[in-house]
Amino acid sequence: MGKQVDILQGTLDMLILKAVSLGPLHGYGILLRIQQVSKDALRIPQGSLYPALYRLEHRGWIAAEWGESDNKRKAKYYRLTAAGRKQFKSERQEWKRLAVAIGDVLAAEPEEV
Amino acid sequence: MLAPLRSWWRALTGQSRLAGEMASEMDSHMERYAADLMAAGVDPGEARRQARIEFGSTAAAAEECREAVGLRWPNEFSRDLRYAARVLRKSPTFTAAAVATLALCIGANTAIFSVVDAVLLRPLPYPHPERLFSVARHFQGEGSEAYQTNLWGGAWEGVRDHAAYLDAAVFSDGSMGVNSASAGRVEYLKQQRVSAGFFRVLGIAPLIGREFSADEDRPGGRAVTVIGYALWKRVFRADPAIVGQAVTLRGEPYTIVGVLPAQFQNSVPADLWTPLRPSRSGEGGGSNYAIVARLRSGATWAQANGQIEAIGTPILRQYGQDPSTQRLRLISFQRGLTVDVRQPLLILWAAVGLVLLIGCVNIAGLLLARAAGRTREMATRMALGSGRAALIRQLLAESVLLGLSGGAAGAALGWLGVKGLKALMPASLNVWQAVELDWRVLASTACASIAAGILFGLYPALVASRLEIRAALGEAGRGVAGARNPWPRRSLVTGEVALGVVLLVGAGLLIRTFAHLRGLTPGFDAHYVITAQLSLQDARYATSQRVNRLFDQSLARMRELPGVESAAVTISLPYERALNDGFRRLDGRHVDTEAQIANLFYVTPEYFRVLRIPLLRGRVFTAADSSTAAPAMVVSEAFVKMYLRDDDPLGRHLDLGGGDRREIVGVVGDIQQKSGWGDGAPTAAMPDIYIPATQVEDKFMQLVHTWFSPSWIVRTAGPPEGIVGGMQRALESVDPQLPFAGFHSMEDVRYRALAQERFQAVLLGALAGLALLLAAVGIYGLIANSVAERTRELGIRLALGATVPQAMRSVALPGVALALAGVAVGSVLAGFASQLLRHLIWGVRPGDPLTFVAVGLGLLAVAAAASFLPALRVTRLNPAETLRQE
Repeated sequence: MGKQVDILQGTLDMLILKAVSLGPLHGYGILLRIQQVSKDALRIPQGSLYPALYRLEHRGWIAAEWGESDNKRKAKYYRLTAAGRKQFKSERQEWKRLAVAIGDVLAAEPEEV
Repeated sequence: MLAPLRSWWRALTGQSRLAGEMASEMDSHMERYAADLMAAGVDPGEARRQARIEFGSTAAAAEECREAVGLRWPNEFSRDLRYAARVLRKSPTFTAAAVATLALCIGANTAIFSVVDAVLLRPLPYPHPERLFSVARHFQGEGSEAYQTNLWGGAWEGVRDHAAYLDAAVFSDGSMGVNSASAGRVEYLKQQRVSAGFFRVLGIAPLIGREFSADEDRPGGRAVTVIGYALWKRVFRADPAIVGQAVTLRGEPYTIVGVLPAQFQNSVPADLWTPLRPSRSGEGGGSNYAIVARLRSGATWAQANGQIEAIGTPILRQYGQDPSTQRLRLISFQRGLTVDVRQPLLILWAAVGLVLLIGCVNIAGLLLARAAGRTREMATRMALGSGRAALIRQLLAESVLLGLSGGAAGAALGWLGVKGLKALMPASLNVWQAVELDWRVLASTACASIAAGILFGLYPALVASRLEIRAALGEAGRGVAGARNPWPRRSLVTGEVALGVVLLVGAGLLIRTFAHLRGLTPGFDAHYVITAQLSLQDARYATSQRVNRLFDQSLARMRELPGVESAAVTISLPYERALNDGFRRLDGRHVDTEAQIANLFYVTPEYFRVLRIPLLRGRVFTAADSSTAAPAMVVSEAFVKMYLRDDDPLGRHLDLGGGDRREIVGVVGDIQQKSGWGDGAPTAAMPDIYIPATQVEDKFMQLVHTWFSPSWIVRTAGPPEGIVGGMQRALESVDPQLPFAGFHSMEDVRYRALAQERFQAVLLGALAGLALLLAAVGIYGLIANSVAERTRELGIRLALGATVPQAMRSVALPGVALALAGVAVGSVLAGFASQLLRHLIWGVRPGDPLTFVAVGLGLLAVAAAASFLPALRVTRLNPAETLRQE
């Protein structure tokens, strides 16, 4: 296991939206998927996952449904809504712009400043 | 956009479901994680422990989730309320005082609102009441306007034929007593006359049968009637085959064509309805009709009103009215039914509103005083990190809780108040929808309570939360003169006194009005006089001769009763509204071409003796004034003053309509009557014309008897015991089919005549008394508090040689000064407010100096007492002890 990075405030929402955009997942599943895709590089504090889910559901970006999981247990599945898809696109663009800008700043040579 | 709101509402209404869902979701999360750990080789106990630790506190996560869906505010609110309840329980005296004040104020509001709601606000009990309208005459004067809904036959025809946007009907706005014989019973029933289509316009379908047809609603149409549900049940035992049966009204058979449903309610109390048969002549020649109309579907008020105004102008001109000051308008039916009572009720409503405002100001004062004692608590909480907004929220929660407790107690008091109001309510208010504490009233009470809580709580909360933490904590809670700004509380007391002045002046004017009207000489002697009414709208009494025979025979029997001194019949009683009649003066100094107006009475000869109305000149009637004798009349003093000034009234001749020539043979004193015309005073001495009952023509007698029921009046030598039965038997012996409609002493009649003025004076007087009490309590509290705050300073002053009276003055005088300022401000406000009462006061001007001066001095005296009473505590101060208390 490599070194884990604490995720930035606000990016968790975007990661959740991305995770459920691939198909409905329950809370633990979202956690697993993010960790798996990031190759365990991102560490999500488990307690803060649920407030984020409730916040996104409250805003109408994801919708929840109770369903049966693999081992016949009831679980709450989250999926992306149309509004969520739009929100995700705009957040991803924001993020890309921010990443480029920060990359530029960090790549600057002393004489350029 | 709506998603957050929906989710918030779902969360708020399903808090326990939400909690359950969150718990099970988080539990299953931990179980899955533990299962994964176990799969990786961790032993079960350790896996579960690790899962729990890594998840962290589920309670904290759940709290965060609740905040995420917008439950933070409601949660904090309920926490604030719980804390507020604890705080209020800890100071029971303050809480009791505030709740009692609010209970009185909100109770008064609840009771009055229940009446206002029943009369003015609650939608009429008909389908789509918002599309029902009255056609009214709208008078526009300088700065004032008035509506009148009684109209002439010509106006009805105009509306019927030309108002295309309206489905209209016409009715007689009142019911009259009628004798009925049906199913073997003789009964006195209330009958209202309405046109064809009346029930259709209201939107009421008969339960059985139908309403009148246009054919039946024409002069000479078939005699038919629609009966009410109660009558159908009571007399006809709910017979389903009722249609076609007859009920005898006034000696004539009327065929029943319909029965109205049980829930039908009407502004006019009636047992049955007969066709109005509107016309332009006779009854329709005067303004005796009222019009109700339903807006046809698709039409708007503006369209229909425009049409009515256009129709109105020629009609008004035709009836001698001035279209520049008057026009026909379409007003809501509810408004049309309440034109006379709207203003008095609104004024009463405003008065209870003022009392509530004063109560709020009072409690705000108490809260400010309390805030002074809680400075340390506030400062500590702020020092511990509480924001100003949180403090204000907490203080507001306390006042809203106070408001709600006061509101609950007020609703209970209001329930008692409604019972009291019902007993006091004058018939003129015409409350026909139930007055009760229904959900509408209770909802308004709840709103008033919460609004009051915020109103009296906000200002003290703002003041209390504005503090310097270090100074407040360092002050060690010691009161020094000037340590705290006294002006917020002082300005409240001034405001309270000012509002009190407004109410007291209003009440004073209405009480003076009532005293004035009560003090007017009645013009007759009401002692030991009993009256009984009887409807003579009866086919068997169609001729003057038959009527007069009934009068003669029944009066003769009544005179034989033991204790009876004299007996007479009159078409209307003093204090009642009389018949208005036009006349022309034929000779003397004034000769008329246009008709003049006076009140007309037919009476039997002993009338003046029974009521002891003094004869001033000439003679009154005798048995010699028979139907064949020369037409004679007696007029009142007011008649002479108005129409025969500078002339000898005796021997003048008048034409009372129809070209007769009647001689004035006597002048009698004035009596008080409900005026109905002229300046509109509740009672006044009117120009009266009396004619002998024997000389009334058949046609005129029939017409008069459709509107008025004559009264038998009997004077006894002593207390009239057993006379009621005697009169009834005397009548029965002459005609067993005629029942008297109810017996009253003349004193009752007089008492009822001023019912509305009494109602207004008593209620406003009580409200003003409450306001005075609250103002006194407010001043007392202010001064008592300042004595308590300044104990140390006063001790020092006394120790340095100040006398007790000097010290007392220094604490008490601000109270008097504030009251003085309040009286000054209040007098100006009252000057404006009293203009609103203009139409309700008589015998006294809105700016009546006596009322203003009395109110001002009275308030100052109360304020002085309320200021010096707490200042007496200074006399018990022991300077040495006070200073040692460090």
